[in-house]
Amino acid sequence: MDKAIGIINANYDTPDLKELINGRTAASVPFGGRYRMIDFALSNMVNADITSVGIITPYKYRSLLDHVGAGSEWNLDRKNGGLFVLPGSVFGISSPGSRFLLRDFRRNMVFLSRAQAQYVVITTANVIANMDYSALIEQHEKSGADVTMATITATEADKDLMGVELEAGKVKSTFRGVKPGDEAFIDCFVVTYSLLLKVLEWYSAIDYLDFFEVLAGDYDKMDVRTYKVTGYVHSVYTADNYFKRNMDLLDPCVVDELFRDERPVLTKITDTAPTRYAETASAKNSLIPAGCMVDGTVENSVLFRGVKVKKGAIVRNSIIMQSCTIGENAVIENVIIDRSNVIAPGTVMKGAADSVLIMAKNELGK
Amino acid sequence: MAKKKECIAMLLAGGQGSRLGALTKSVAKPAVSFGGKYRIIDFSLSNCANSHIDTVGVLTQYRPLRLNAYLGNGHAWDMSGRDGGVFILPPYATESGAEWYKGTADAIFQNLDFIDLYDPGYVLILSGDHIYRMDYQDMLRNHKENNADVSVSVMQVPWEEASRFGILTADDEGRILKFSEKPKNPDSNLASMGIYIFSKEVLKKALIEDSTDPESEHDFGNNIIPKLLGEQKRLFTYEFKGFWKDVGTFGSYHQTNMELLDENPEFNIFDPDQPILSNVNTRPPQYLGPNAKVHTSIVADGARILGSVEHSVMSPDTFVGEGAVVTDSVILPGARIEEGAKVTRAILGENAVIVKNAVFGSADESVPIAVLGNEKVYGEGGAN
Repeated sequence: MDKAIGIINANYDTPDLKELINGRTAASVPFGGRYRMIDFALSNMVNADITSVGIITPYKYRSLLDHVGAGSEWNLDRKNGGLFVLPGSVFGISSPGSRFLLRDFRRNMVFLSRAQAQYVVITTANVIANMDYSALIEQHEKSGADVTMATITATEADKDLMGVELEAGKVKSTFRGVKPGDEAFIDCFVVTYSLLLKVLEWYSAIDYLDFFEVLAGDYDKMDVRTYKVTGYVHSVYTADNYFKRNMDLLDPCVVDELFRDERPVLTKITDTAPTRYAETASAKNSLIPAGCMVDGTVENSVLFRGVKVKKGAIVRNSIIMQSCTIGENAVIENVIIDRSNVIAPGTVMKGAADSVLIMAKNELGK
Repeated sequence: MAKKKECIAMLLAGGQGSRLGALTKSVAKPAVSFGGKYRIIDFSLSNCANSHIDTVGVLTQYRPLRLNAYLGNGHAWDMSGRDGGVFILPPYATESGAEWYKGTADAIFQNLDFIDLYDPGYVLILSGDHIYRMDYQDMLRNHKENNADVSVSVMQVPWEEASRFGILTADDEGRILKFSEKPKNPDSNLASMGIYIFSKEVLKKALIEDSTDPESEHDFGNNIIPKLLGEQKRLFTYEFKGFWKDVGTFGSYHQTNMELLDENPEFNIFDPDQPILSNVNTRPPQYLGPNAKVHTSIVADGARILGSVEHSVMSPDTFVGEGAVVTDSVILPGARIEEGAKVTRAILGENAVIVKNAVFGSADESVPIAVLGNEKVYGEGGAN
């Protein structure tokens, strides 16, 4: 029997990601030059030797499945265990904002009952963190808790998270409206396998509720504890947060922490040539992956693969996603340009520093 | 019994590449880094993948461990399917004893059983240390049209250089009349590229006979080709037009890397229709610092550039510190140029380090390219 199996729930509504979720799931939103949001959760799972991972998918799953494939990049194309794509339920009708609907788990009882384990690590796909899940599991096991919720000390950026009140080291209640300094749940927890199955059975009649909604009435009976995570941990459920978290990567210390050798963040590999910088190129304080052609100026920006910045073009404080072309002498400032867009020569696009423009992806572009 | 194949490839990757000494102390030449993110063997393997040849035996002998790890099961070149793959073929023992590969022909001879597993009609013999793009299917078509026993890929070389190559003399139809190794007075300028297609039965018979010939060096160019010519077999040239380089010396290795930086490079690694596939680790994107200057260069993932890079090739996980200047150089994976250091017309081996403020290499073109071996440290406190 495995010690732990993993479930990444990608089935929740994220309207505040705006145009970024046009035609894709929140889990498959591109991030950090070459990754997708889900890469962090998926890599954290396999880096903790979890070899059975279920992904509960939402309705718009095409781009997500395109990205994860058979799981080979994460060594999850296995005979024993592996990657399981699980159908999610229709969300957003009774519990807007819910991230762990009971019926998403109940609907996938076949996965749960076949993949027997002592513990289940459950997370959303929108947590940007290189987290050691094995330490989380270890604490859960040692403490004898039923549920261990991973938490952080909230900052201004963490308003969307659920706050946690503790009493004598155990969770007594949860609340919305997190303020800086509060202990906040990062939508990642470990639950004892047998207890999860019991909860799903007890509450089968009201499985339109969220796991933590039903737990709210049971905090006196159940042993729910927290595991405090330090370091770079951010959830991304809004476009504003998305922009800021990408810009965080222009600090090499953040890159070193997130993309460390001993716990690599894995992603789908595409074979692209190295990036070519022309004689006329000027690129500073930017994150640029392989496969780009830089002839113009790039400053304080994150580019994705296959981006072409033509001669005389200027890209500042912006995120330019895969396969976009910025035409000659175009000026792009404070903009997120989603993938496959071609910006005509001479175009000027400027957002404000505190309110960036978003250009949706060119759905049928290459 | 494996599924029968029309054509399989046997890739000779056992050479030491001794003229690239500092870069091949711990790795075979085919595993030497090239062009920012590739290894030399990627070019032949990608040619196979792009030519729909999905079964490749790789003959290894000299320091094969890094190469083996790099090749894996061939998945990176789309070759790990049920019916094909990349197979590493080192020398092995049999009931009559064990021997090293004594030559290129002997290496294939010792693996005739491997070829028989797939029972191909044709066997493509490649070497793993050339930089080029070729459609092997086109060569195979040519081979069949000529009803040839052997086809030898050739390219025209300048007449004045012909005496440095193995030269083939052919008639108007392309039928080979003569092979001369490094002829003093060449009567042809068609040089062999060391790429052969054999009809399998011809190959098998020739190798078996050659194996018992005490005079033979067991080499394709020097023994097998002349032997088959003597037997009046049908040997034809296949003329290749395009970019082909043997990067066997530091000079040619450096120059060929530098040519990738041309505005319209003759060898275009950026061509999306014929991608060069490689087995790379997932590394974060490259980071260019607030004072970085990068011009006329190619840079791979995981590189971190805080200083200046001019006309250079930067491999994965390379580092250029603040105020450091790299010019006209090839920097191999993991190499570090610390702050204030200066590197000019140089090759830095994998994980090599140029310490703070050290100066390595010279812009003087009469001086040979400066080379720092893999894992070496140069500058104050470190030995060259």
